[in-house]
Amino acid sequence: MTQVMTASTQKQLRQGRIRRGVRSILRHLVLTVLAVIWLVPIVWLVATSFSGYRGINITTFFPASYTLDNYTNVLFHPDSVAQFPRWFANTFVVACFNCVISTCFVLMVAYAFSCCRFKSRRLLQNLSVTVNLFPGVLAMIAVYFVLRYLNLTNSYAGLIMVYAGSSGLGYLICKGFFDTVPASLREAAKLDGASEARIFLQVVIPMSRPILVYTIINSFMMPWTDFVMAKMILNSGISSDWTVAIGLYNMLSRTLVNNYFALFCAGGVLVSIPISVLFVIMQKFYVEGITSGADKG
Amino acid sequence: MAELAYAAPLRTDGKEPNFLQKFGHAVAHGDIFTKLSFFIWGLGYIGHGQLIKAVLVTLVQGLGLYYLGVAGIPNLMKFGTLGTVQMEMVFNPATLKNEVNDYDNSFAILLLSVIAIVVILALLASAMAVVTSNYQLQRIRQAGRKTNTFGQDIRVYLNEKFYVTLLTLPVLGVVIFTIVPLFILIAVAFTNYDQQHMPPNALFTWVGLTNFFTLFGGGQSLSLTFGYAFGKVLIWTLVWAFFATFTTFFGGVFLAMFINDKRTKLPKLWRTLFIITIAVPQFVTLLLVRNFFSDNGIFNTMMANLGVTGLLRDAGLIGANMEYIPFLTNASWAQVMIILINIWVGVPYQMLIATGVLMNIPGDMLEAARIDGANPVQMFFAIKLPYLLSVQGPALVTDFVKNINNFNVIYLLTQDVYVTTDQAMAASSAKEVDLLVTWLFRLTQEQYNYKMAAVIGIMVFIICAVFTVVCFRFINKKEATFS
Repeated sequence: MTQVMTASTQKQLRQGRIRRGVRSILRHLVLTVLAVIWLVPIVWLVATSFSGYRGINITTFFPASYTLDNYTNVLFHPDSVAQFPRWFANTFVVACFNCVISTCFVLMVAYAFSCCRFKSRRLLQNLSVTVNLFPGVLAMIAVYFVLRYLNLTNSYAGLIMVYAGSSGLGYLICKGFFDTVPASLREAAKLDGASEARIFLQVVIPMSRPILVYTIINSFMMPWTDFVMAKMILNSGISSDWTVAIGLYNMLSRTLVNNYFALFCAGGVLVSIPISVLFVIMQKFYVEGITSGADKG
Repeated sequence: MAELAYAAPLRTDGKEPNFLQKFGHAVAHGDIFTKLSFFIWGLGYIGHGQLIKAVLVTLVQGLGLYYLGVAGIPNLMKFGTLGTVQMEMVFNPATLKNEVNDYDNSFAILLLSVIAIVVILALLASAMAVVTSNYQLQRIRQAGRKTNTFGQDIRVYLNEKFYVTLLTLPVLGVVIFTIVPLFILIAVAFTNYDQQHMPPNALFTWVGLTNFFTLFGGGQSLSLTFGYAFGKVLIWTLVWAFFATFTTFFGGVFLAMFINDKRTKLPKLWRTLFIITIAVPQFVTLLLVRNFFSDNGIFNTMMANLGVTGLLRDAGLIGANMEYIPFLTNASWAQVMIILINIWVGVPYQMLIATGVLMNIPGDMLEAARIDGANPVQMFFAIKLPYLLSVQGPALVTDFVKNINNFNVIYLLTQDVYVTTDQAMAASSAKEVDLLVTWLFRLTQEQYNYKMAAVIGIMVFIICAVFTVVCFRFINKKEATFS
């Protein structure tokens, strides 16, 4: 081949290689710029969490001095404003209860709509879609009144009820997954004499590990990331009762922000760590869930 | 399954009779036990030899009737007026003290009445179901067969009727925590429940459609501002939902294609860099970004040092005597910034999803297009985009609805930061950057104006419902033409 190659073709090849090289550099440069834009706030969060200055640093991006004090303060020296360990424990309790109840509800509804055949199935499904169209905030305001009437505001029972109560409505993604479990499997189990309940618990659920993990993590994460409902239900102003989200939000109120911004960042980082770990586990199922749910409408 | 054969065979066209027809037939042809079971559920089952079931259903019925007797009916009687006795201090001669009188609480009346209506409907429907099932039992016995024992009944609920077992609790949860509250709020839209009419100290009552007229700018002079604010907030809500949905969708698609391109090295690393932003909870990043862009925040300092602030001042984009760029404190700036920040928040999610969807495009389709000489742009518009839209079309519709109701981004970015200068907006507690949902939330939290919040909530529902129905019609039609 090289013998046949003339000088001009060699030149063309070299030009092509250069053009490709330039394009490749450009492409990666664009990606780098984008990545920097996306990471700036995160870097700022982490950098400020190690800052020696407790307020907002408005002169330089990176803090002037670094210290671990913010983390030790947040974890081991709670004061009247920042009671991170309490908040963490509160949120953990709520998250565990919500996780169990919500996961059961979602799996049950999804299985009923996906695998059982009954007359009011379509009607119930359409109803659930309609109910979902009402803004959640609106229902929440009404729920707040009901809870206040029942004396359940400022209690974790009330908060768990609000989180888990209508969780059955979020069955779509899970149903999309159950739809892909071959019907022949269920039929075979039925021929072997298994009841519907056994098929659900011993055939379909073990086959749906991904969506099980997705549902569990999703419902566990909800109290950590939710802000509005917690703010509404736990409104007593007693900071030891709060969840992480309200506590951190409160640190940024106008009177406190200049003393607690670095602590806020440290707390934010601490909350992010478990969530990141869970998210990395969930990432794979996340896409699967969305796309399989989307097909069905 | 054998029981089905004993259901009323009354339709000549061979179709299964519906619930009402079955009930009618059961009443017409039932024996005394079947008929009586409408009033006392247990009687029928006792008559047909199912004792445990009889006790259980009678207990449930008793509970329902007990609620109606103690709280339901008394409150339902006052439902027409929502109470007439205002809370007062009265002198009690027996204790020689001033005591609170036996006042009416309008909200309690409304709440307990709505629950009573739900209970009455449930009791009626159950009574009809009980009669129908008793008629089946009666026919089984008439045919000389045995009715199910309690154990057998339980087995039915783990088998043919397993869906009942599965759905009961979740449906109950949805009814209690979503549907009943929604009914209450819909009812509140037709009352004058606001700061001047707050139970338990004051009563509120029905006012018909007045609140709806107020929202559209009718009525007295004060309410004129509501019509004005509603128009402005509605337009911004729709603009926001449109941009928020499409910028993040296309941003995500382009980023995904860019990273997945064969010529990009280390695609996994790039993807991870963007995904890191999802791992930090939204409320943390949003609150952080809000301080990042605040009037005397770090970004403004950087802009001033770089001379951008001066440049913008000269260009007339910010006021002549401004020392900072009002990223989140000026209406137009804030609206643009919110959409930009939302791109930052939403694109990584959409990229993740788009990556998954794009990988599912059949490779031979792209290969064929390449052999036919299609360039990348043609391939995007002719293959990739239609494919993405067909898979994600429904998700886009739900995203749009979710963005109309996107409380977090707007509230966390603007609450306590953005102050409106428009008096007419301020009078109705609205801001230029408010969505309908954040507006209604603040109406309840700051002005205790529940009646208007409820009306706005109903409007949001109507907008979302119309949009969803129209879009799904369109999507279904399209799908039909494709396949």
